[in-house]
Amino acid sequence: MNLLRQHAEEQFAHELAELKRHDSGHLPPNWQLSPQSVVTYLMGGKLRNGFEVSSKYIGDRRLMEIAVATLTTDRALLLYGLPGTAKSWVSEHLAAAISGNSTLLIQGTAGTSEESIRYGWNYARLLAEGPSENALVATPMMKAMQTGKIARIEELTRIGSDVQDTLITILSEKTLPIPELNSEIQAVKGFNVIATANNRDKGVNELSGALKRRFNTVILPVPDSIAEEVAIVRQRVAGLASSLEIPAQAPALQEIQRIVRIFRELRNGVTEDGKTRLKTPSSTLSTAEAISVVNNGLALAAHFGDGKMNAHDLASGIIGAVIKDPVQDSVVWKEYLETVVKTRDDWKDIYRACREISR
Amino acid sequence: MPLHILGIRHHGVGSARYVAERIEALQPDLILVEGPPEMTEALQVIGHEALKPPVSVMLYNIDNPQQAVFYPFATFSPEWVAALYANKNRIPLRAIDLPVAISFQQALAENDTTLSAPVRDPLDYLAEVDGFASGSALWDHYFENHFQIHTSAEHFEAVMLTMKTLRQAAIPSLLEEENTLREAYMRECIRKAQNELYQNIVIVCGAWHAPALVQVDTTAKADAKLLKTLPKTKIKPLATWIAWTAQRLALQSGYGAGISSPGWYAHRWKYPQDTAMLWLTQVAGLFRSKQADISTAHVIEAYRLACTLASLRNRPQPTLNELNEAVISVMCMGDAVLFQLVEQALIIGNKLGKVPEDIPKVPLQEDFEKKIKSLRLSLTANAKQYDLDLRQENDLKRSVFLHRLAMLSVTWGRTVENRNKGTFKESWVLEWSPAMILELIDKAYYGNTVQIAAQQVILQQLQAEQKLGNITSLLSRVIPAELFECIEALLLAIQNLASVSADVVDLMAAYPTLVQVSRYGNVRKTDLSMMQKIADGLFTRISIGLGNACYGLDEANSEQMFRHIVAVNEAVRLNQQEEAQTLWLNTLQQLLARTGIHPLILGCTSRLLFDAQIWTTSEAEQHFAYALSPANPPSDVAAWIEGFLKGSGAILIYDDTLWNLLYAWVASLSEQHFTELLPILRRTFSQFEYAQRKQIGEKARKGLVAISASTLGASPDIDEPRAEMILPILEQLMAV
Repeated sequence: MNLLRQHAEEQFAHELAELKRHDSGHLPPNWQLSPQSVVTYLMGGKLRNGFEVSSKYIGDRRLMEIAVATLTTDRALLLYGLPGTAKSWVSEHLAAAISGNSTLLIQGTAGTSEESIRYGWNYARLLAEGPSENALVATPMMKAMQTGKIARIEELTRIGSDVQDTLITILSEKTLPIPELNSEIQAVKGFNVIATANNRDKGVNELSGALKRRFNTVILPVPDSIAEEVAIVRQRVAGLASSLEIPAQAPALQEIQRIVRIFRELRNGVTEDGKTRLKTPSSTLSTAEAISVVNNGLALAAHFGDGKMNAHDLASGIIGAVIKDPVQDSVVWKEYLETVVKTRDDWKDIYRACREISR
Repeated sequence: MPLHILGIRHHGVGSARYVAERIEALQPDLILVEGPPEMTEALQVIGHEALKPPVSVMLYNIDNPQQAVFYPFATFSPEWVAALYANKNRIPLRAIDLPVAISFQQALAENDTTLSAPVRDPLDYLAEVDGFASGSALWDHYFENHFQIHTSAEHFEAVMLTMKTLRQAAIPSLLEEENTLREAYMRECIRKAQNELYQNIVIVCGAWHAPALVQVDTTAKADAKLLKTLPKTKIKPLATWIAWTAQRLALQSGYGAGISSPGWYAHRWKYPQDTAMLWLTQVAGLFRSKQADISTAHVIEAYRLACTLASLRNRPQPTLNELNEAVISVMCMGDAVLFQLVEQALIIGNKLGKVPEDIPKVPLQEDFEKKIKSLRLSLTANAKQYDLDLRQENDLKRSVFLHRLAMLSVTWGRTVENRNKGTFKESWVLEWSPAMILELIDKAYYGNTVQIAAQQVILQQLQAEQKLGNITSLLSRVIPAELFECIEALLLAIQNLASVSADVVDLMAAYPTLVQVSRYGNVRKTDLSMMQKIADGLFTRISIGLGNACYGLDEANSEQMFRHIVAVNEAVRLNQQEEAQTLWLNTLQQLLARTGIHPLILGCTSRLLFDAQIWTTSEAEQHFAYALSPANPPSDVAAWIEGFLKGSGAILIYDDTLWNLLYAWVASLSEQHFTELLPILRRTFSQFEYAQRKQIGEKARKGLVAISASTLGASPDIDEPRAEMILPILEQLMAV
């Protein structure tokens, strides 16, 4: 297979099949798996026959339970969180596990129009035959309603408010009126919507009150413990490095731990030992950014260094991730460098590397 | 002679309900509850109208009031329910645990409280088998949450069976050794009651003890032998009631089990039917009262989600966990910050208990009276002035005591200005009013002595405090009250706040106080190096942030910043650390190089650098010329001059270069400009001393000064031997 990236339901097809075979729970209409099995698929675990399901989401099981429970009711699910907290990842896997199809996707942008949510027209046909069902262009939303599957909307808050509100009828009446044909499309059981939105973006379109209450919200947090976050970074870096074929040695665990620690300390505003409080920068410093800093460092080491990632390969990436606002953030970073990094004996290399660039 | 043993969990709502039902059915003639016998008498007060839970029995050692234990009760405590029944029906009620005097004695004997290895809750083993997260979740599921599935008789039989099985499996409990003794003592008490010919005895005790209390006849001899090993003691504990709060119910003391959600427990106690639905309505009501739009539809959706979640987790009804998750998800848009409101107002609640007025004195009051006697102060309504000499031991103690009382908001004494300005003198006026004792009683739960209570008050204030300046002022109040234990906490708070505070002005306000305290403070028992370290940390942050903080300030703020810079400068000089001084001067120099900084601050900075003598003469001249050059708007120059000359104008008298520049600048002003600037210049000059002003005036009459090489530096015609003659006197004067 020469694809850069496979869909979740293809990549984990064997896991889904195995889960289905051993599923004894009650299936909601048109669901591929029972709610309990969906949670197992996301969190990982051992089936009764000893089959090991890998974990897709490393974090709080409670959150996944709320997400799945929501989708069994008639409310839609809104995954909310900082950039890089696995919102789209969770949404894709939820759709794959519940409907066996994660491709009914609408990408929200400032330019997303009503036609891309409801339906569009094939104008050639419209002119030739006049309005008819054949001249309709179905959107992923419309297909999901017709087949009773999960539709996904990415970055819901980037869509303009007027367009967002077209969702209200779909979510509350479960129907999509087509006034031009004097007909409608009514959703089949099993249909629901998963939307993702991020709460750090400036200039987002806040959801209207009416739309808000059609959604149950789950906030995906940044990882709880340093061990959890190191595990995530490690897993994803290994996966990406092999698929991008970067010819560098896998980074030492210690190097990853250091980056994750810097990110966590600045993000949480307190050192890991809990003794010193710190200022936090305006940047989000998500796990995803930690992953890209490591990847970046690996690429630097592979193509311009000796193939082994060192402090210098990482420094520019770290600083780029931390300092987003040139005035406030650089104060924060300088303070951190001088009061925390400098005092750690085995961090001398990273201190020097960062000092050189910060000047 | 039937014994009815009701195994419960302290503060368990389900347990309380079953106890109420069971006692009603059994109609006992004696009720025994777990708890030291010293509190038997206090328990008789339960049912008194003025005793409103949450309240707590406090048992304390008369001779050493710091030694105290608390037995808190809420309306839903099973022991409370049992006592209420007993007192209402006039049935005797006794507490049958080990006397608290013995545990006080033991605590004194083995001063070091070495903690043994943590033991698992025995129920955890069952939970593991049954697929629950913890033993307490299992207990909740089977014995607390689903009232009315079983009869109360069945319920207590099941509890007994569960615990018996665990005990037979020889699983150790949390306090194994202590428990053996306690249970022996409880059995002894039961036998005594049986000998008194009570026929129908109900015992309410922690579930774990239940199986041990069944066999009372066959264990008599062994128990007697065991109880002989108990230490003898002369300690006489006293019991009294004190008001308790919902927050404090969560604390672990006496009845070990603290509960994290007293508000939710109280709700379940009050509404056995439709608990979840009513809870969500209350949550919605709370949000509405805070102007959040929560509709009935929200309540319906939240209820649905909670029920779905409960069924996903195989629970027949939603518990608090499910309800909370549903509320966050449906009503708060996933926002945990909003949810804190529910946490504080409903889940914990802010209920405050009440205690009748005629109960025995609280130890804090007794400590207060004892101290007054020993310090020879008297409670009179007439104001009386005390002039204390802090070098005398008794006076020092009085001062410390009065400072501590002030922290407890007992306004008995107030300090008055002492005419004698020595630091070892302090004057107080004492004026007593009876209401002050109420103030003291209100503070009873903070601690049993004035010292401890004052400490707690400070620590609590500290928790709410966000301003660095206020914490340093707390610090300066704590020192005369000699509350040394607080100092560490205060210092830690200063350090924490300082590192997150973006407000450099706040840091600058705190730094001089801190330096002063660490240098001159009479801090005896604190680690001075820690204070020094914190001061250094503050200073580093000030140096990094000063430039940005000075940017774009208006005149009023610049004035404030001006004062802070001067104060920090003074503190840096006091601190006498070379590294810090160099850093400070560097910071000031960088400040001069920036743009967008008010000329008032620039002037002040220039002056500080000039005084620190780090410029060469020509460099200094260059700076002055630059600041006074005609290209600058006249109002800026005037502000610069104000900043530069603030405090002292002597520099104008001896530095002719600067004088000439200033003179030329004034001469270059147009009449209109001059009139405009006159008020600023006047304000600057009017602060100088009269003699200086006169000298400047005389110099101004002469106009520009011709600069000779000799104006600065040593005069050639100085008579060296004669000059040296005054040096010894100078040394004596300056005490070097």
